Amino acid sequence: MDLGERRGLETDVYQPAEDSQLLAEAACEGIDRDRDCERGRTTGRPDDRRLVLEVGTGSGYVASRVASETSARVIASDLNPHAVRQARRDGLEAVRADLVSAFADDVFDAVLFNPPYLPTEPDTEWDDWMERALSGGEDGRAVIDPFLEDVGRVLAPAGVVYLLVSSLTGVDGVVERAGREGFSAVALAEESFPFETLSILKLVR
Amino acid sequence: MKESLLDILRCPMDKHELELEDAEYGENGDEIVAGTLVCVECGERYRIEDGIPNLLPPDMREETPA
Repeated sequence: MDLGERRGLETDVYQPAEDSQLLAEAACEGIDRDRDCERGRTTGRPDDRRLVLEVGTGSGYVASRVASETSARVIASDLNPHAVRQARRDGLEAVRADLVSAFADDVFDAVLFNPPYLPTEPDTEWDDWMERALSGGEDGRAVIDPFLEDVGRVLAPAGVVYLLVSSLTGVDGVVERAGREGFSAVALAEESFPFETLSILKLVR
Repeated sequence: MKESLLDILRCPMDKHELELEDAEYGENGDEIVAGTLVCVECGERYRIEDGIPNLLPPDMREETPA
């Protein structure tokens, strides 16, 4: 089945694509490596499992891969009721929430986000859940910027962010904005497609 | 949702803790399938339905996007 047919069948939840795969791979590798580096540190949590949040989980593909390929406990959140239901059906711990607003301070070892990033004309926006999963407003950063403003609050002291950014949104602008929120960015992975280059940024403090 | 998730969730409006009310547990007793989370500070109520807590603030709770 090609992508167009798959999209036609599933119009309420963004289905995994190249960007999802790139984020899942970078996150799985990074979370495992971080665990090795920090083995023995005390988190204050009884079971000492690393705690990972995926914001805007959509189909739950990235969260499921991190849950199965690392030892971390993964929480999947989304604004979209169809997405959180699908995540829960797939055995994930699902929470319906707006970005990181419903989570406690200083708790997550990693936060993952494949944000809506396509720059969109104002009058074509927010028509349905799929539009909402894709559109990043006029500059492509309507969701990324508020995320960057608040994500530091929910990160544990050594916590990191894995953020997918497209050349269509502008990687430099996102890096600069993250810098103003106290993060430095490392590019972990990059993949080029005919109309865009996708990058995974790891944001650290 | 697992009861341990309560340690991680906060009221999206004022970041205070949430108290569980009227909890219904699933068959093996380790999951909350229904109930209400109530903010200890502002009293706002958040429903748990089909095991999923809805922590959207009141003005964002509609099923379809605006």
